[in-house]
Amino acid sequence: MGMERLQELAPFVKEALHQTARVANALCFLHVANTYLCSVAKLVGPSMLPSFNHGTFVLTESITSRLGKVGSGDAVIIRSPEDPRKVVTKRVKGVEGDVVSYVLDPSKSDEQKTIVVPKGHVWIEGDNIYESRDSRHFGPVPYALVQSRIFLVVWPPEDFRSIGKTAA
Amino acid sequence: MRAAKLLQYAFRQWKPAAKEVLGHSILLAQFFSLLHLTETYICSPTLVYGPSMLPTLNLTGDVLLVDKLSLLLGKVGPGDVVLVRSPQNPRKCITKRIVGVEGDTVTFLVDPARSDRSHSLVVPKGHVWIQGDNIYASKDSRQLGPIPYGLILGKVFYRVWPPEDFGPLGQ
Repeated sequence: MGMERLQELAPFVKEALHQTARVANALCFLHVANTYLCSVAKLVGPSMLPSFNHGTFVLTESITSRLGKVGSGDAVIIRSPEDPRKVVTKRVKGVEGDVVSYVLDPSKSDEQKTIVVPKGHVWIEGDNIYESRDSRHFGPVPYALVQSRIFLVVWPPEDFRSIGKTAA
Repeated sequence: MRAAKLLQYAFRQWKPAAKEVLGHSILLAQFFSLLHLTETYICSPTLVYGPSMLPTLNLTGDVLLVDKLSLLLGKVGPGDVVLVRSPQNPRKCITKRIVGVEGDTVTFLVDPARSDRSHSLVVPKGHVWIQGDNIYASKDSRQLGPIPYGLILGKVFYRVWPPEDFGPLGQ
């Protein structure tokens, strides 16, 4: 009696498993594409004004960073050296070997400091230096923490544009 | 006229073969994807060599199993041998032992081959302090500084080659 019920349900279970496998397949493909090719990110915070507003959606690509070709002026998504679970958005101001001049606290003084970026590191700064916690506070960041490079703004629609190497 | 017919005939001959090849390619792609996901998020084998972790690891090369799951769960701590991406060369990976995590005070010999001078510092937030077991021949946090936790790739937990050293890696 119970076996008949089970046999009735068998095709439905099979179909359910089949569809689940297809969904899992699609999600895996999406995950691989996100990690190795291109992904969407929502940017929060005021540290990249006026380039990126709080709540902007951007497209990021991971190919440039993996090839080691991230350079000065690129807006990147980078894992925070202070909190490994957090990712932050900043602009690369200098790569290894570059001499970087920066103002530590622009709202208080004009004093400039100069530093040579060590081998294997990058110097990142937010476009809004008054409201940004970046390399001026935690020093040069190892290149391997760079996750991806921002190349397109997709939302809000009035801000749709490609991102170059200048703060705009 | 004859060429068109020839093409039609060839297409009809090859269609089932092409379909089979496509099916096998998809299967192969799925297998490699699964292998890649396992290597990235669960466990992966690595060949390491060098004198900086003697006597724990051999000079001429060991194949180790690196556990990436415990890294995702945040269970990597002092005493663990870890694989980290080098802060000096993002393409290189180095194997060292975690001596201290954020907030710990680490005391270390700056250059043990030359002098007895020791130095103490507090590991900053979000960083770890790594040292090779062979402090006389190891380039680690004593030269590179504290390493951001985000550079850690995984925890070494087993050695599979050479066969006489097969077994778990202790503390």
